[in-house]
Amino acid sequence: MIAPDSAAGLRAERRFDLVAAVLIGAIAILAAVLSVVQMSSSQDANRADLESARLAADLSARIAVSGEAIDSAGGLQQAALMVGMEAVAREEAGLQYDDPGSSAIGAAEQSAYKKLQAELADTSATTGGAPVDPYTAGLLNATTQQLIAEVREQNHQVDLGNAASFSEQLAVLGLSFLALSGVLTGLAAVLRESRGGRIALSAACLMAGAAGLLAILAFL
Amino acid sequence: MTGEILETTAVEARAVAAAEIVVPAGESGHGHGGVATLLTVAAVVAAIIGFRAAIVSNSASNSWQTALRTEVKRSAAAMGDVRLLYEAELPVALRILEARTIQAELLAAAQQQSGPARAALVMEANVQSQIITALSPSSDLATNTDYSLSSGGFDLGKALADLRSQNPDLVSLNPDKLESSGDQQAHKAQLLTLTLIPTSFSALLGVLAQPLKRRRTLLLRLGAVALGIGAILALAVEAAA
Repeated sequence: MIAPDSAAGLRAERRFDLVAAVLIGAIAILAAVLSVVQMSSSQDANRADLESARLAADLSARIAVSGEAIDSAGGLQQAALMVGMEAVAREEAGLQYDDPGSSAIGAAEQSAYKKLQAELADTSATTGGAPVDPYTAGLLNATTQQLIAEVREQNHQVDLGNAASFSEQLAVLGLSFLALSGVLTGLAAVLRESRGGRIALSAACLMAGAAGLLAILAFL
Repeated sequence: MTGEILETTAVEARAVAAAEIVVPAGESGHGHGGVATLLTVAAVVAAIIGFRAAIVSNSASNSWQTALRTEVKRSAAAMGDVRLLYEAELPVALRILEARTIQAELLAAAQQQSGPARAALVMEANVQSQIITALSPSSDLATNTDYSLSSGGFDLGKALADLRSQNPDLVSLNPDKLESSGDQQAHKAQLLTLTLIPTSFSALLGVLAQPLKRRRTLLLRLGAVALGIGAILALAVEAAA
């Protein structure tokens, strides 16, 4: 004859084993899911950080080179204007001191100023033109609107990197909870169907649940 | 004595009960080896996939890092060439162009003048000529006819292209290509880690096969199928990339 309490004890023991087995399997699956999320988030954060750094380097080059081209164009026009101002000054001095030589030089320089202005305008127009490689041409011809758009994109990449880093942190926290859950499940397996074993198993379930929640949060 | 007999009877009763409740007829003791094998193989496959995914992911990071370094190198090279042309060569060429233009106008004006005015124009033209003679040897931009525009100015585009072509390795730097390569490797790493999910599912089935003895064979077979799917997917990802 079998004692009723013996049969009940064995059923509870079997249920305990089943819960522990399900928990171990769930830990394995959650570990795989969290690994996927962690690696994906890590890569996203890494790429966004590097992209933002690349854009910062590109912005720096564009600002410096396009500024150089703008300064050069302005400098060339200033040089032509200086010739024109010198021509006017010579003509005035020639008239003032009744020096036909100075007046003639001033008139010739005035004519040279107009010609030089046209030559230098044509020179500036070749900045960034063919056959310069497209990258350098892009640096030379960068407009303020393009720079503003690039700054926006750079900021966006920084935000993406921060968001991905947060997801990665959640995934790592989830993996930590899973490790704890695994340890508690092992403890429960040692303590078996005792009060301590049941507490350890319950805590392991709780930790695995928290890891699952973190996996969902990290994925979103 | 009686107590010992009763105790022995109670232990035997528990054993009989265990046999009735836990182990179905015909399956007692079988399948432990299968569970252990499935779990071991699943663990090994998961470790191999995880290791390979980590290597590929690291390779993606390396490509991205190289893309950043290449970007910095490319921009520094371009900035150097632009500065050389616009800050070192152009000012000298500009002064020569000024002198040439003024000299030409002075000589043209001298043709129409006489006396002191002509003498002053010729003298001033000589001054400009001296400047041209002094500066020309140091300016390739002003003396190379390839860079002369029909209007009299300089073709800065052509001059810069020639300057850049002196270091073709720096011109051909392409960080976009490296970044794209990194993206592909990152995608491959993600796909590889996804194959861990069926592999871990096989571990779940293997673990469940231990207490669920009645369905142990079915669970072990399903676990083996899940493990096979995970391994085949991982091989497919490797072969495709």
